Amino acid sequence: MNATHTPLVDMRDISLSFGGIHAVDRVSIDLNSGEVMALVGHNGAGKSTLIKILSGAYRRDSGTIAIRGEEAAIANPRDAKRYGIETIYQTLALADNVDTAANLFLGRELQTRWGTLDDIAMEAQARQVMGRLNPHFQRFKDPVKALSGGQRQSVAIARAILFDAQILIMDEPTAALGPQETAQVGDLIRKLKAEDIGIFLVSQDIADVFNLADRVCVMKNGRVVGTARIADVSEDDVLGMIILGKCPPRATPGPGAIERSQ
Amino acid sequence: MTKFAVALLAGAALLLSFAALAQAKGKVIGVSWSNFQEERWKTDEAAIKAVVASDGDRYISADAQSSAQKQLTDIESLIAQGANALIVLAQDSSAIGPAVQKAVDEGIPVIGYDRLIENPNAFYITFDNKEVGRMQARAVFAVKPVGNYVFIKGSSADPNADFLFAGQMDVLKDAIASGTIKNAGEAYTDGWLPANAQRNMEQILTKTGNKVDAVVAANDGTAGGAIAALAAQGLAGAVPVSGQDGDHAALNRIALGTQTVSVWKDARALGNKAAEIATLLADGKKMNDVPGVVKFSGGPKKIEMNSLFLTPIPITKDNLGVVIDAGWIKKDEVCQGVKPGTVKVCG
Amino acid sequence: MLARLLKSAELDTRMLGMVGALLAIWIAFHLLSGGLFLTPRNLWNLSVQSSSVAIMATGMVLVIVTRNIDLSIGSMLGFIGMVMGVIQTDLLPKLLGFEHPGTWLLTLAAGLVLGVVLGALQGYVIAYLGIPAFIVTLGGLLVWRGAAWWVTSGQTVAPLDDRFTLLGGGPEGSIGAAWSWAVGAIACAAVVVSLVHSRAQRKKFDFPLRPMAAEVFLGGAACVVILAAVAVANAYPWPIGSVRRYAEANHIALPDGGLFIAHGIAIPVLIAVGTGVVMTFLARRTRFGRYVYAIGGNPEAAELAGVNTRWVIVKVFMLMGLLAAIAGAVSIARLDAATNSEGTLAELLVIAAAVIGGTSLAGGTGTVAGAMLGAVLMQSLQSGMVLLGVDTPLQNIVVGVVLVGAVGLDTIYRRRMGSVS
Repeated sequence: MNATHTPLVDMRDISLSFGGIHAVDRVSIDLNSGEVMALVGHNGAGKSTLIKILSGAYRRDSGTIAIRGEEAAIANPRDAKRYGIETIYQTLALADNVDTAANLFLGRELQTRWGTLDDIAMEAQARQVMGRLNPHFQRFKDPVKALSGGQRQSVAIARAILFDAQILIMDEPTAALGPQETAQVGDLIRKLKAEDIGIFLVSQDIADVFNLADRVCVMKNGRVVGTARIADVSEDDVLGMIILGKCPPRATPGPGAIERSQ
Repeated sequence: MTKFAVALLAGAALLLSFAALAQAKGKVIGVSWSNFQEERWKTDEAAIKAVVASDGDRYISADAQSSAQKQLTDIESLIAQGANALIVLAQDSSAIGPAVQKAVDEGIPVIGYDRLIENPNAFYITFDNKEVGRMQARAVFAVKPVGNYVFIKGSSADPNADFLFAGQMDVLKDAIASGTIKNAGEAYTDGWLPANAQRNMEQILTKTGNKVDAVVAANDGTAGGAIAALAAQGLAGAVPVSGQDGDHAALNRIALGTQTVSVWKDARALGNKAAEIATLLADGKKMNDVPGVVKFSGGPKKIEMNSLFLTPIPITKDNLGVVIDAGWIKKDEVCQGVKPGTVKVCG
Repeated sequence: MLARLLKSAELDTRMLGMVGALLAIWIAFHLLSGGLFLTPRNLWNLSVQSSSVAIMATGMVLVIVTRNIDLSIGSMLGFIGMVMGVIQTDLLPKLLGFEHPGTWLLTLAAGLVLGVVLGALQGYVIAYLGIPAFIVTLGGLLVWRGAAWWVTSGQTVAPLDDRFTLLGGGPEGSIGAAWSWAVGAIACAAVVVSLVHSRAQRKKFDFPLRPMAAEVFLGGAACVVILAAVAVANAYPWPIGSVRRYAEANHIALPDGGLFIAHGIAIPVLIAVGTGVVMTFLARRTRFGRYVYAIGGNPEAAELAGVNTRWVIVKVFMLMGLLAAIAGAVSIARLDAATNSEGTLAELLVIAAAVIGGTSLAGGTGTVAGAMLGAVLMQSLQSGMVLLGVDTPLQNIVVGVVLVGAVGLDTIYRRRMGSVS
């Protein structure tokens, strides 16, 4: 790896506590353009919390975040979006009672020159971006709660790519999907990689991780156990990291790794 | 807060209450109000307080905010605060029974204020509410003895509303029976709210096609609502309207000619008298020996009560001077907007 | 064929159902009252009687949509009403002299500012201090009612400034035949223009269009309803007493048959309709409205999308305070007196109106137009029953049963619709 290559996202020594609990404890992780970095670990390992720090939903207690080498100030979701960070949440974070276009543009609505909502323009763009993902989708006027799970997933993904995300965070994207839709998500990820977008992929599904990711970072109890290239480790190795905290030889250990007995 | 600070505050509170107790050489007169929000009772309170203060006694009170439940707790609390006599304006005359009995059992004299409390051990002081109704009807009848009458009654939940209506009917029943007067419409006014009276009056005007000759309204608030409805039909001033309480706005309307009568009960006289009697009874005087006492058994249970009735005064255009001279309202308030030469007292 | 036409017009079936129910109630009352209900006079009265609740219901929709509630508006109305009463009869005459032409405007402005301030205070405590709206506004209900008493120690303030009372309706408080037709024509034109514009926009982006027949039907039906309403308002003449006074004041000889001066649209009704239009615009065509509904649908999603949810909530309550002030002005003007009991229990009527109009207490759904229809529906019930001589306690029972029935029907309807994917 080129030593002078600047990562797309470089999070160093990130910590966040809730009350007395260290949800995230001195975590360092980086992401390069055109790369999928998988983030895995048990429930409660701190994966969701970490990505919420990056997406602006939580504010970190300490540590730095650098985007393309420059320190980034991310205090709220708006700031994160300005840096090109888009998130697809596990719960999708869609407002059920409004329609697709409204959800896509939530918080970033297009306005006419008189300051009113430009519904027509938003619907047009919505049709365009949904067309890329799901050409058969027609229910633009229905509230989102009337859509199927897969369609809602498409809306959440469309929202992320509509605004030219550079850094995409996907939190358990295939958890509620069937095999065909999972394959679709996979295709989408490959396409986005080709466009030089960096993707954080939080997942419990090891098969998905090995299928889609370039590197993997394992967290346990708020700390990083280790980081490795997918090509350098096996599924069992990763499982060992998740369950035991044991870092395999070709992975870079983190603060959470147990001492390797020699 | 530190434990020390709490202890200090508690100590201070104790000291203050001891001081207060030590100060009260005189008696304690407790008053339980039913709902202090209504315009009138502030005047009553001032009158009671004046007498209590001049006697060197202490005044304590509680407001039941229209809840019979709360009034029970209020009375218990007044007893606990050491009341030597209780003046009670009952929210619900039946529900108040247990609380009054409790006071009576403790030897605390109870005075039923304005509203009847049918307990033979309680004193009853009031303006004769049925007489108020009769005065309202008489004044309106004097102006319009023939035609369609509308009755804008008080709240269906207030027994006084029915006393008033009964008094009004007393005066009008012969004319209604003979057909010279027709009951063209009647409606209770929810909560005595003027806005409800206005709406009900509007509907009755619609129903009768404006063929209304007189309105007997239960109090000045509802009279105001009825008159607003009449005004929208250009009938204000042409149709006599009655009222009660001597509200300043109503007295002005009487001068302007849109309201005919407001039966004035000088609340100050009632308050003064009640406080006097409370002090007498607290000093140990028997109810029978109160100057001016009469026996009254006209309540629903026909229990004989020791009572004192004050006379209400119907105020019309001709005797507005009475309220001005009594210091109840200033002349320029009564005469605001009045065309010169139309009302004697306004010049 | 009619069914297809209705479907292609993309009308909300719930709204149609409510209009149907309203018409059914009106016809029933008309028959039961021997032809008194559907007269210009009664309908005109009905419109004025509904305005105060209708005005506040438009704001309550937004409050409930954001999953909050406001129990304090009746008391706020009373307090602001008392303050406005004292300002116009006591304060301003001292500063500007009696019967100053600007008194009414200054009074109204002061009332509106007070409403916004009180609303902002409650909104701040709810949004930024995190105390539930139910509790904060319950406190407000008690506080503002007590404050209303304190303004004059319980005394009623009457009469009010002559120009101010025009806000309450009555013969002088209506705009007359000519202006009413003008308003009707403008409204009709606005509907047509908006239909044309929306069709043009859709064409620009090649969206599917409504069939021309449906567009014409919509425009035509709307115009017919608007102009019919104006005609009804214009068919209600001034009472003879007012006509006489007017003739005397303007030195016109009164012909034998009397002079027909039409009331026209009452000013409080104009205010209510105007408020409804503005609030609908706010709810549907501004970012603020979009955020209100999004927060109601999924507050977390709105936060994650970068919406400043707390500030939106404060604004919702500020709006509610403003509307309570407007309704207060209309109420005291109508009564020509400011009483400290004004608006008692109004919050319940307003919430009922919003809920009957389709607003769900779970948040996220509700329309301004529906709430105003709900207000008219409830007032129709109450006023109609007085016309029939039904006494107050029974009236309350009927209104309560209708409220539960209406919401019950709505819940069943929603469940049925929700099961169709």
